[in-house]
Amino acid sequence: MSLKKLSAAAMLVGATLAAQPSSAQDITLEFVVWNYALDTIQDNVRRFEEANPGIKVNVTDYTWPDYQDSLVLRFRGGTQTDLLYGGQDWLPAWASAGWIAPLDKIAPEGMIDTLSGEMAGFALSDVTYEDQVYGLPYYADTISFLYNSEILEEHGIEVPETWEDATAAAEKLKAAGMNRPIVYEYNQELPNFFDAFVAQVYGRGGDLFDEDLNAVFNQPDNAAYQHLEWLRDAFEKELVQPENHESNIITTMNTGQHAFTIVYNYVLAAMNNKAEQPLAGQFSLAPMPGEAHSTLGFAKFYAVTATTADDPERAEAAWKFIEFMAGQPYDVAKRWAVEHGLGFGQLPLLEDQEVREAWGEWVDMDVLSNQIENARAGTWTEWTAVWSAFFRPLLASAMVGEISVEQAMNDGAERWNTLREQFANR
Amino acid sequence: MWAIKRYPLLWLLPALLPVAAFIVYPVAYAFWTSLHQVMLLFPGEPFVGFDNYARVLTSSYFRTAFLNSVVFMLLAAPLVVILGVSAALFLQRRFAGSMLVRSVVLLPWVLPGAISAVLWIWVFHPSFGIINGVLLGVGAVDTPIQWLNTPRLAFACVLVAHVWTQIPFAVVLTMAALSAINSETLEAATIDCRNGWKRFWYVVFPEVKAMIVVLLIYNALIAFTTYDLVYAMTGGGPGTATTLLAFQIWRESFAMYDFGAGSALAFVMVAVAALLIVLITRALPSDLFGERP
Repeated sequence: MSLKKLSAAAMLVGATLAAQPSSAQDITLEFVVWNYALDTIQDNVRRFEEANPGIKVNVTDYTWPDYQDSLVLRFRGGTQTDLLYGGQDWLPAWASAGWIAPLDKIAPEGMIDTLSGEMAGFALSDVTYEDQVYGLPYYADTISFLYNSEILEEHGIEVPETWEDATAAAEKLKAAGMNRPIVYEYNQELPNFFDAFVAQVYGRGGDLFDEDLNAVFNQPDNAAYQHLEWLRDAFEKELVQPENHESNIITTMNTGQHAFTIVYNYVLAAMNNKAEQPLAGQFSLAPMPGEAHSTLGFAKFYAVTATTADDPERAEAAWKFIEFMAGQPYDVAKRWAVEHGLGFGQLPLLEDQEVREAWGEWVDMDVLSNQIENARAGTWTEWTAVWSAFFRPLLASAMVGEISVEQAMNDGAERWNTLREQFANR
Repeated sequence: MWAIKRYPLLWLLPALLPVAAFIVYPVAYAFWTSLHQVMLLFPGEPFVGFDNYARVLTSSYFRTAFLNSVVFMLLAAPLVVILGVSAALFLQRRFAGSMLVRSVVLLPWVLPGAISAVLWIWVFHPSFGIINGVLLGVGAVDTPIQWLNTPRLAFACVLVAHVWTQIPFAVVLTMAALSAINSETLEAATIDCRNGWKRFWYVVFPEVKAMIVVLLIYNALIAFTTYDLVYAMTGGGPGTATTLLAFQIWRESFAMYDFGAGSALAFVMVAVAALLIVLITRALPSDLFGERP
């Protein structure tokens, strides 16, 4: 081949390539998650990529206990992150630091209002910071009081209405030979250790803070103070079987040696999973004991980083992803609900026949609906996550009698006030 | 000419650069951090002098963590050395299956701390753990013991797990020291003295005492700075029962995002550890590492 012909051929190939429309996988989004059901996450991502040629999504996962630290270090270190799982307790800190962006910045006009209108109240509250919506629910759930209905029936015990009833029931079971009837997730390193405590305080109708965000939990007549005394009493009477993780609670409750526990609803789904658990079907949800029967509702959500929201191309792709995962017709949220028993913030799914059938296998839907209606969002501030890390060991110490309830509550309140001042002056 | 005598520093650069990059710079940066307010959730890093040091030294957590660390070190280091030396003396003998036993004894050494922690969590588990299983089985207790959820017991459990992970290293070093003893000396001692303890004390111990002291110092430092088992087994709890200084550094830095306080605490820990080394070294007999007459 002559040099002229070779040059002409090269030019032709070059021109052809240049004339091609931009090829697939123009954008690769970095999506950071904690590693619950990673297979399902990957499969959802695969479906998204199939439906959206030109957008590729890399998934990076961390364990739940390490997630928050890892994300903060990613933000501070400038590691490329486009999309992430967010949590209600971290939102104020992350949003105020400018690390994540309100969804209005990337969603078509009016879309967030439409989707917000279909969200459970506590879920909407948990994805909102300073009147702006920062996420759409990946899942939303309540922390619930669960019991073994067969054990209660066998011993002629009514489902506890108050915490005093719960003590009486546990003491009756202990007298009948059951060692430690209440299984409790006791792990001061997990944020849910604090969340579960708040849920129980809400059951009593109390709160840890007043409307001006002053700490009031150190007042002896406060419900939180009284509840910590209740927990300490229950530990002292050896009514409580501590477990360090919810996965252990599933196994422990399925030994038939315990009657009560306080955990997320999806743990009830796992406890009642007939394919895996020997006592599946024996466990039921009851309204949280206490005068109010309220509980803590919370939402984990898909969020977008501020740097991605500022880049029009990436922002457009990121919105497509969030809408696919958590927007109408809520197929992915429904999948999590049906396959894993994860709660949802999208209220239309409560009426979905497929969801009701799947959930009817492990929970009384009417009791659950009441629970969701009664649930309250937590008090989440810019310093809550930091304070919670300080307060959880105090709670744990007081429960096992290492320090007094008064000391735990006073130290916790003092730290709350210090952090509040620090964050106000930062 | 590029003579070594004319450019000594230049020729040392290949060795000095990695030291500067991986030791001097991180330590200097950590010291800088300890003098600034480095809160990850806050913008800016203002200079605060020694405020971080004052804050961590006056906190109730520091007192608890410091005392826990000292007690942990005082218990762990002698235990590791006594058990390690005993195991080494036993393993030095030849018996059927001795190679297999030696391999099994070394097993904890190859396990990462987190794996060892998970293993011990299950050993101490109240419902499914082997210890409670045995105790309940032989009727020694009526109800399962809450090993990791009772403050004093949790501390003991972490101590047991830590000692278990450190014994193999003590065994290896002691066996190396034992193998250096003249076999004729040992044979003569066996003939002259039938009492095994006396034989150890008067013949073997003088030969391995330098190694034992090294092991004591090493294990004191390892125990004082231990972190991984605490993190994975108890998270410093229940409450503060197993919170050691190294764990508190992690908590200040990564749970409360206060890198300034975390760095200050790290320097305090280094200072205490350095002081310990000096005290232990001064307490040693001056002829310990000297030539034998």
